Amino acid sequence: MVWLAESASSVVPVFDPASPFAEAIYSLFLKVLAISAVIFLIVVGLITVAVFRFRDKTGGNGDVPRQDFGSHKQEIFWLLGPVIIVVWLAAISAKLVFTVNAVPQAHPDAGEEPDEEIEVRGHQWFWEVKYPGHGIVSANEVHLPVGKKIRIKLTSEDVIHSFWVPQLSRKMDAIPGRDNYFWIGASKPGVYQGRCTEFCGMVHAWMNFKVYAYEEAEWEAWVEAHSKKPELPTEGVALAGQKFFETATCIDCHKIAGVGGTTMIAPDLTHFASRGEIGGGVFVNNRENLEKWLIDPQKWKPGCKMPNFKFDPEELQQVVAFLETLK
Amino acid sequence: MGGVWNEIVGLWSWASPIWLVIAAVLVGYWAFFGGRMERRSWWLAGSLAGLVVAYVSPVAELADGVMFTAHMIQHLVLLLLVPLCFLLSLPRERMEEWLARPRVEPWGRLLSFSPVGWALGLSVMWVWHVPTLCSASLQSSWLGVFQDVTFVVAGLFFWWPVFSPMKAQRLAPASAALYLFTACVGCTLLGIYLTFTPISVCPVFARPAAGTGLLEAVRLGGFSARMDQRLGGLLMWVPPCVLYAGAIVAVCRRWYAGEEDEVVESENFRAGESVK
Amino acid sequence: MNGGTTERIESGKGVDAPREEAAVPPTSKILSWVTTVDHKRVGIMYILTAVFFLVVGGCEALLIRIQLAVPENDFISPAFFNQMFTMHGTTMVFLVGMPVLIGFANYFVPLQIGAKDVAFPRLNAMSFWMLPFGGFLLYYSFMTSTAPDAGWFSYAPLSTKPYSSLGGIDYWILALLVLGIGSVAGAINMAVTVLSMRAPGMSLQRVPLFTWMAFITALLTILALPALNSALAMLFIDRWLDAAFFEPARGGSALLWQHFFWIFGHPEVYILVLPAFGMISEVIPVFSRKPIYGYSFVAGSTVVIFLLSYGVWAHHMFAVGLGMFADIFFAIGTLLIALPTGVKVFNWTATMWGGSIRLTVSMLFAIAFLVEFVLGGLTGVMFAAVPIDWQLTDTYFVVGHFHYVLIGGTVFGLFAATFYWFPKMTGRMLSEGLGKLQFVLWVLGFNLTFMLHHFLGLMGMPRRVYTYSDEPGWALLNGLSSLGAVFMALGTLVFVWNLWVSKRKGKVAGDNPWGGFTLEWATTSPPPVENFTSLPEIKSRRPVWDRDHPDLADWKSAKTPEDGGWRPFKGKVAMGAFVASEAVFFILLLVSFVVFNSGDRGGLDGPSPLDVPRTALFTVILLGSSVTFWFAERALRGGDQKGFLRWLLITVVMGLVFLGGQAIEYAGLIRSGVTINSNLFASTFFTVTGFHGFHVFAGIVALMILYFLGRKGELKQKRANIFSAAGIYWHFVDVVWIFVFAIIYLRVLQ
Repeated sequence: MVWLAESASSVVPVFDPASPFAEAIYSLFLKVLAISAVIFLIVVGLITVAVFRFRDKTGGNGDVPRQDFGSHKQEIFWLLGPVIIVVWLAAISAKLVFTVNAVPQAHPDAGEEPDEEIEVRGHQWFWEVKYPGHGIVSANEVHLPVGKKIRIKLTSEDVIHSFWVPQLSRKMDAIPGRDNYFWIGASKPGVYQGRCTEFCGMVHAWMNFKVYAYEEAEWEAWVEAHSKKPELPTEGVALAGQKFFETATCIDCHKIAGVGGTTMIAPDLTHFASRGEIGGGVFVNNRENLEKWLIDPQKWKPGCKMPNFKFDPEELQQVVAFLETLK
Repeated sequence: MGGVWNEIVGLWSWASPIWLVIAAVLVGYWAFFGGRMERRSWWLAGSLAGLVVAYVSPVAELADGVMFTAHMIQHLVLLLLVPLCFLLSLPRERMEEWLARPRVEPWGRLLSFSPVGWALGLSVMWVWHVPTLCSASLQSSWLGVFQDVTFVVAGLFFWWPVFSPMKAQRLAPASAALYLFTACVGCTLLGIYLTFTPISVCPVFARPAAGTGLLEAVRLGGFSARMDQRLGGLLMWVPPCVLYAGAIVAVCRRWYAGEEDEVVESENFRAGESVK
Repeated sequence: MNGGTTERIESGKGVDAPREEAAVPPTSKILSWVTTVDHKRVGIMYILTAVFFLVVGGCEALLIRIQLAVPENDFISPAFFNQMFTMHGTTMVFLVGMPVLIGFANYFVPLQIGAKDVAFPRLNAMSFWMLPFGGFLLYYSFMTSTAPDAGWFSYAPLSTKPYSSLGGIDYWILALLVLGIGSVAGAINMAVTVLSMRAPGMSLQRVPLFTWMAFITALLTILALPALNSALAMLFIDRWLDAAFFEPARGGSALLWQHFFWIFGHPEVYILVLPAFGMISEVIPVFSRKPIYGYSFVAGSTVVIFLLSYGVWAHHMFAVGLGMFADIFFAIGTLLIALPTGVKVFNWTATMWGGSIRLTVSMLFAIAFLVEFVLGGLTGVMFAAVPIDWQLTDTYFVVGHFHYVLIGGTVFGLFAATFYWFPKMTGRMLSEGLGKLQFVLWVLGFNLTFMLHHFLGLMGMPRRVYTYSDEPGWALLNGLSSLGAVFMALGTLVFVWNLWVSKRKGKVAGDNPWGGFTLEWATTSPPPVENFTSLPEIKSRRPVWDRDHPDLADWKSAKTPEDGGWRPFKGKVAMGAFVASEAVFFILLLVSFVVFNSGDRGGLDGPSPLDVPRTALFTVILLGSSVTFWFAERALRGGDQKGFLRWLLITVVMGLVFLGGQAIEYAGLIRSGVTINSNLFASTFFTVTGFHGFHVFAGIVALMILYFLGRKGELKQKRANIFSAAGIYWHFVDVVWIFVFAIIYLRVLQ
């Protein structure tokens, strides 16, 4: 199997925030980690000292130690520290909940309308991504302009999924029958790894996605390119592939703007050739991998809804050629 | 900013008639129990401070048809804080002596009959949040006063079996814990209901008639009527339960200290058999 | 001395029938175990069953770790992997954690309070046999279409028919219901035992901390399990009767399942960890030769944990978007739990301080418990800070966290307890040498496996993935983590070998090998059939210490409240506990009615099809039956047997009339086409009233049995308490109906 050539942009994403939201959570996390480390060292230190200092070296024949039943004063004194820490923790996490990443629907900050709204819908096992302002539909990729405040409207088609891009925002569950809203953004351009984190059935493991953050100009170019229908082939193998796509069962599950189809069951393939990955992170998107995928999707993503169609080699070449044109 | 500040200052109801009640309580307390400052005097101060919070502070103004949350705070203070602090402020010996008088004794016993206290404490919470009653209590000032009085009285009944100044009238620790725990369940259910129901429990607050500038500021800041009710529900749920849990801890402490060893097992168990 | 003990051990094997020991053939020896009602034997069977399932669940964990040892592994299929982690979780929680703790409580609570047996020995045996039966049901699923594969919390709608059409989930539901019945029955038994069976002098403020924790655990079980049962019942109705409680596509709510599950699930965490707290609170003082530091703080803080544990369930749901107020309130509740827990850690440390510490294997595990549990607790506090939870929930960080609590906490506590109590249970000591080997293997393996999970979580690895692509560092950490699991497996083998060898050839223990303080050390090892030949005087929390150190006796220096001597009537307390449990069940069903029938939740559109006036009439009849029951009870207590029978018969008839009324209502609805799968109003209506009707029916059966007993003259004035106990149930059923009528018929909450 070909491993992803383009790996996630950070090894420890939780510690490498790239948005104001993730940044705020990260700084809270550091504080809590520090205080936890101090508490741990104190407790373990006390235990260690107790064990070494008060170890019985007489084999059970020594004097009976003083029978100490405890003192309420001391206990309350020892409780003071934890009380202060708990109050402090409650205060800083409440503050963060209120200020940084409140659910935007319930708490639209006055004058802070989103710069961009994106709708994400979880499916078994892919993410459908819509840009209602631009009429773009895509899958397993989210594209953003850098430095903007973007609101995601999240829901699910079937079971519960969870949308998580550790470097950019909080985790949010995608729940059928319910719309969840949250802020996302990126402070620098780059590619950010996202994953589904709520167990959602057979191939929960292959529901990865990527977030691409662009500078303003590049973003506009991306929108420009993707809000147009792809140029369909006019001749040759690719045209045959298109005919095959339309007449075989492909179109029953996949949609291509300008060709037709539905997005309820499988990813939208408009501009497929511009995508980075196939199958929710199973493959990097290139001709060789696309062929492998089409020959037997069940081998690479067992249980996914695309069966092994047993294409003959000619059909395979036609479909691949067609999909490669969908820039 | 200045405008909001003026609003907040303006929200204090300094001319509230509650000062008369407070004065009356102080005079009565002084007449009955003498004016020496003791530890229990702080409890009395707490009780009266509760009244000030409920009727003088901005809570009073906001509770009057503006913010459901403030309305809830007012209820909780009147039902839980004021009576509890007042009970704790009563001097033990004097009360024991007084409650032992033949005229007073039956009343004390009625107060200490735990099912009454429990039912009253919970039912005032539930009943006053039936939508029509909740709105009515805000539209008629007499009904509002009546509501507040029922809160305080029910609160006294509720706390009496746990913190009665007369030891013999208190529930045994196990029963007291059960009493408080089940009350907490009752509050929790009401809190859950208020928090999650899509119904506007107190319709007055959904369309506040006398919207003040402050309220408008709050609404603009994103504090919708829906959120108002949610926060109110959570207030009805969490603080009382924390208070009850605290009371259970106090009961446990009493129990371990052996203060009431003569009633180690609960009265409820009296009917049972003893182990030979 | 030694010779005497050996003899006792030999005769101890057949505790039920020591005299015929020599003559019994092996089959009836097995039969004597199967038919036993002795709490010690039942306890041992619980523990052995749990050990068996521990091995099974451990093998499942090993398969999981092998699959994850290298990236893009295809050692097992995703379908099988999903079954493995579901079964691993379910097995470890329901077939290992709860039973082993109930087993220890079964064995040692009666001993520690100086009782002959538990309150209801036969009910105890019944509770136990539910365990293998439930376990069998769960594992039988492998032989059908598929084992359950939706995770141990089976989130809806993944667990509903459209997404899990095969039978695995059904076996999961049924097994959990069966196990739940066993657990609740066992818990009621335990609570009643502690309340009613204590020896004279053993006031509730003097019970050993293990007994106290077992008592609180029992209360938690009684009040938490019914929440799960109601959710399971609703899911089963969804799956088999085509209702849609948890199917959002048809108006149901995916979140309701999560709320119900975690109302059970969070207290469940404490059900699993509190008994271990109790064990540690026994082990540390004994091996420090000091009393526990601050008994009342340790015991009281457990009460606080008990109370708070019911108010924090939604911290498992911070990522679902509950809204910020709910998030903050639940975060505060969760943080508050850190306080009583912190108090305990302080108390345990202070107990060791100034003591005379013997580092036996038991004590080593207790100390390891302290360290590992503090780690698990601290990561728990991190999750209480909502934004951190938003990042790390559902990743390997959370897997690391709860394994630190459940292995570092519960399992290490269990090992400490096993080494501590094995001599009492068998009369022989476990090998300290093998024990130390096991200790090293476990501490190394455990930390290697689960410490790395935290880092994997920070690196972005979600939980429950059957494989992963080769991200930098993932392969290394996962590989090492799998290696750690091998160490733990080896440690377990050493442990089982130690049990096996020591049972046969271990050093003979004697009555009190460790210098223990509590009553179980005042009898022989193993104890005789009815536990004690004579009890030492109980005047403090450490009667055996007082006996052995008369000059330093606790009652001279540390006064504890005297025992008033009153013990509540067993039947009434048991019935009260049962009713409390049932009340939770009905409350949650009624909550689901309110949820689905207010606003535009997809409940009723249009007027209610229910006949309110007619049902009001039947309501009066049902409530009237409570009055007639009361007349019957008064007649019985007054010695008027005839009047008693007459009023009882009237009660039964009124109950039957009420059921008739319900039947008419049902028939009318079904004729007009309203059935349980019509809409959410009908689903909730039939579910609530159906369960209530079933309870009325059960009550009628019970009353009829009492009636015939009365006719035969076996229920008379003297045994009126039994009748009163039945009365608690009957009145409860009527009270439930008041709420059902108000909420469903009168719709007071809408």
